[in-house]
Amino acid sequence: MSVAKRVQQWATFGRMWYLYDAKWQNPLDSADKIKHYLAGSHKPIYHPLSDCGDHVVVINSHDIALPGDEWEKRVYFHHTGYAGGATWTLAWELHKTDSTMILRKAVYNKLDGNLLRRGRMARLHIFPDDKIPDKILENVSAQLRQLRLVPRRLDHYPQEVVHNFPKLFDWPEEHVIR
Amino acid sequence: MTTQTWNRFWGSTFVKAPLRNGVGRYVQQLQRITFKFCKTHGCSQGMREYIEKELIEFARVNPGVVVYLKPRRHRSPCLKAEYLNGGEEYISCHRMTNEDIVKWVEYLRTRSGYPVERLRKYQHTDHPSIQGAWTPWIHRDPLVNIAEYPIEELSAAFKTEKTATDEVLELFEKQKLSGEVDVS
Repeated sequence: MSVAKRVQQWATFGRMWYLYDAKWQNPLDSADKIKHYLAGSHKPIYHPLSDCGDHVVVINSHDIALPGDEWEKRVYFHHTGYAGGATWTLAWELHKTDSTMILRKAVYNKLDGNLLRRGRMARLHIFPDDKIPDKILENVSAQLRQLRLVPRRLDHYPQEVVHNFPKLFDWPEEHVIR
Repeated sequence: MTTQTWNRFWGSTFVKAPLRNGVGRYVQQLQRITFKFCKTHGCSQGMREYIEKELIEFARVNPGVVVYLKPRRHRSPCLKAEYLNGGEEYISCHRMTNEDIVKWVEYLRTRSGYPVERLRKYQHTDHPSIQGAWTPWIHRDPLVNIAEYPIEELSAAFKTEKTATDEVLELFEKQKLSGEVDVS
């Protein structure tokens, strides 16, 4: 293989590092998006036998948003292997213990169940807040788009924007604003 | 038989020709062909007929091929071909007619000498891409080379429809232009 061909090979199969902001995102839908990048199936050169998966760095996993009443209804099952070793953990309990676990399990379940799964999971880096170690952040060279808009609270708007917003109606005389 | 089992015994290959044979010039790959037959036995009748009628013409048309005749008593006839790359091919001609042998000799003459294997692809090119191979950086905005991550604009989802807040603000702007409301 000539030098030019060798460099070509490096460029084509070089691993990218993608950054994904999980703030206010559904972890189950996000896992559907992230799994393509971990497996490399978003690339035109994808082939199941070639190792072309990318790294994905997920930040703000503490601020994920489960839909509906999933925080109370979603249950994570674990069995230690011993008699009576079964535990059922609710999503909010698991999130309180480790706020990266829900997203990690969602991605793990969405990935193909073959021998490559553990290696692909090793390329997924999840951080509960937006603090990323410099060793990881220096590799990041692209960003994944969020799936839905992050809602903005009233107290996050500047005071003058709130003040200048058009007044739609007048409160009744007897209305008490607490 | 599955492909895995087939490959275990027979292998697979890509389309290839020895030394780009047939591009610009053609080099006869068949070097030597041996006709083995019996002079008396009935199973060699077609082979004897071929030797009487066709063999002289075959040797005249293909001067690069060494032709051997090997009579042997009471054994079934066969063709043995040897090729430029060292490959060999053996074909049993037991009870074959003259016409069959003509076809098999033509088959041996046009072979390359490589073993017959399953082709993984039915085409081959030395230049797989004119525009160059794909890399992750193709069609990427060069601005990301000097970007400091995370970037809000690259992360936020695209706004597909107007929110109620946007509608209200838009109505308000229209009213201000038409002078219906007092802006102060």
